[in-house]
Amino acid sequence: MENAVELSQVTKSFGSHIAVNELSLNVPSGTVYGFIGPNGSGKTTTLRMIMNIYYPEKGSIRVFGETLHGAWTDRIGYLPEERGLYKKMTVRDILKFYGRLKNGADLNTRITDWLERFELAEWANKKVETLSKGMSQKVQFIATVISKPEMVILDEPFSGLDPVNAEVLKDAVLQLQKDGTTVIFSTHDMAVAERMCNFIFMIFKGNKVLDGSLSAIQDKYGADTIRVQIDGNSDLLREIDGVDKINDYGQVQELRMRNGTDSQDLLTAIMSKARVRHFEIARPSLHDIFVRIAGPEAEEATHA
Amino acid sequence: MRKTWYIAVREYNAAVRSKAFIVSMVLMPVFMVGGIVVQKLLKGKVDTTDKTIAVIDHTDQLCEAIEAAANAYNENELLDPKTGKKIKPKYIIERVAPSEEEPDKQRVDLSDRIRANKLHAFVEIGKDVIEPNSNPRANADILPMTERVVYHGERAAIDDMRGWVRRILNERIRELRLAKVDMAADVVERLTRFVPVEPHGLLSLEGGKVKAEGRRSEGQLMVIPIIIMMLMLMMIMIGAPPLINSVLEEKMQRIAEVLLGSVTPFQIMFGKLLGTVGVSLTMVVIYVGGGLLLADRIDATQYVPYHLLPWFVIYLVMAILMFGAMFSAVGAACSDLKEAQSMTMPVMVTVMIPMFVWVNVVKDPLSGFSTWLSLVPTCTPLLMLVRQATPSTIPAWQPWVGLGGVVLFTIFCVWVAGRIFRVGLLMQGKPAKLTDLVRWAIRG
Repeated sequence: MENAVELSQVTKSFGSHIAVNELSLNVPSGTVYGFIGPNGSGKTTTLRMIMNIYYPEKGSIRVFGETLHGAWTDRIGYLPEERGLYKKMTVRDILKFYGRLKNGADLNTRITDWLERFELAEWANKKVETLSKGMSQKVQFIATVISKPEMVILDEPFSGLDPVNAEVLKDAVLQLQKDGTTVIFSTHDMAVAERMCNFIFMIFKGNKVLDGSLSAIQDKYGADTIRVQIDGNSDLLREIDGVDKINDYGQVQELRMRNGTDSQDLLTAIMSKARVRHFEIARPSLHDIFVRIAGPEAEEATHA
Repeated sequence: MRKTWYIAVREYNAAVRSKAFIVSMVLMPVFMVGGIVVQKLLKGKVDTTDKTIAVIDHTDQLCEAIEAAANAYNENELLDPKTGKKIKPKYIIERVAPSEEEPDKQRVDLSDRIRANKLHAFVEIGKDVIEPNSNPRANADILPMTERVVYHGERAAIDDMRGWVRRILNERIRELRLAKVDMAADVVERLTRFVPVEPHGLLSLEGGKVKAEGRRSEGQLMVIPIIIMMLMLMMIMIGAPPLINSVLEEKMQRIAEVLLGSVTPFQIMFGKLLGTVGVSLTMVVIYVGGGLLLADRIDATQYVPYHLLPWFVIYLVMAILMFGAMFSAVGAACSDLKEAQSMTMPVMVTVMIPMFVWVNVVKDPLSGFSTWLSLVPTCTPLLMLVRQATPSTIPAWQPWVGLGGVVLFTIFCVWVAGRIFRVGLLMQGKPAKLTDLVRWAIRG
């Protein structure tokens, strides 16, 4: 498979702070690639470098097989984390403006189609300042895809959207992939990343810590997670030997086994204390892996 | 280039549709022309209530003359000859015998009457006014009171009537003095007649005939340069400073980042500058076009310096690019309006410098001061044009050298501003210091 983006040994620093350190990454064409990582770990900086907004100090970035800067930005749609729309322009005008800046063709029809798809048709001639937050976010998304780019880069596309709109947007993203578009997006929401991405890349303090398909990542972290449901007080589980950590979700408890512990011994031990309704040897969730790497301080961020 | 054009078009549309632009388009000429119109309207609206002045005449010879003059004035000048309406106040003279015992009390009483609005003013004529003994060249302040005439009134210094009284008194005093030495007033007038030196323009040979420019008034010489300068300054001021807000909007609303995903910072800035140039050219079409039409209507086309029109447009475009680049760099370096305001000052002052010196330049356009200052790129557009608008012959190389300097400096400004713009555009939070700006400009 051809790579849409190839980063090799890319470094970028701001003053004394190294934002991205010797990062190498390949994004195959036609895939959905998720960037995860706590706030300030270098996601946006990496995306901006791919967009040629920031220039790396070291290393090279190839997009669509070319290192030539600038010309290919027409082939990429970019949705920044902070949405930017001119308040005084009408929805149609601003979409046309952004589409033209990407040398997009057939803009008028495409604008009409997309507005209808997002149920914004009657807002086409209203000014941006009259839109709600969710609506302007959808307009911003349309602006990103209006020129039919071969690749879209979405920085936190789902943040701040209500579930209905998030669903609409998710469907649109998956449709893009079906049409052959490469999608790179960053997110805080591990569940979204798990569900949507072919590949997941995690950056932490400027360094790559995870890169691969979800199952490959989970394999790497082994089958050391036990999901149980028991009758009675879950506090009983804390007294059992061979458990490193318990994540108590209320109805379900997730145990992480100590290295070298046999899952069958664990089951026996639990059964001796309580009635077991459910016992599952599972692979760790992305959320769990994320927290293991980034530490407890990142836990809050993943629920944000 | 096409993307730059799209940005320019958007900038232009946003600018000409903004309320600020429309308001200033309409108001600027209203303010400029308004002053003249208001003066014209107020001219006929003088106070026409009767004015009584008291005269304390210690000479006993002069008050009659004032009374006679007042009567003549009341009879001949009070009414508008066409409409018959009263257009001037009637002058009533009240002769007051000097009080020998309590002169100060008399003055206080008269002053009180003025305060009570019963009297307009009072004049006290010293007894030796007609035949003074002191040195004729002595300063009026050190003359003895007996040789002075004092006009007391609430607004004495700016009172029109004081001038009237002065004229009447002096005419009469001269008559009396001449009569003493047996000389007729008309003889003296003929002997002391003043010869004026008229200000005329130059002569030229056209088709075998000598053509004279004729008499030129001071006003004529000053009016054209100042109209041209104010017009250009106004266009620069309407066009360039809004770039700060426009860049700030893009920065604060995070539009900049979306744009940067499609175009380079330089394209953004250059597009915005081109849009602004478009705005100024629109103003040229409206104002200059309007001005020419007006000149045609009031038959003043001979005063219009048509040969300066191309220079005006070129200098204006350059000035907009030059100052626009500075203003957009300021916008990019700031993160809110407050910050921007303090950083705008130096640029504003740079724009305004020609305003402070234009009188000197118009009076002496060939002086070293005028020449050198008009070759400083930030001043060239306004000052060189002002010099060209005067009748003096500016050496032909100077406008071209000035233009060359402006072009080079403009390229430099756009380049530096482009670099500041690129770094500043995504910078949030902490305000940039001057040293930061210099560093951004050098390192890019």
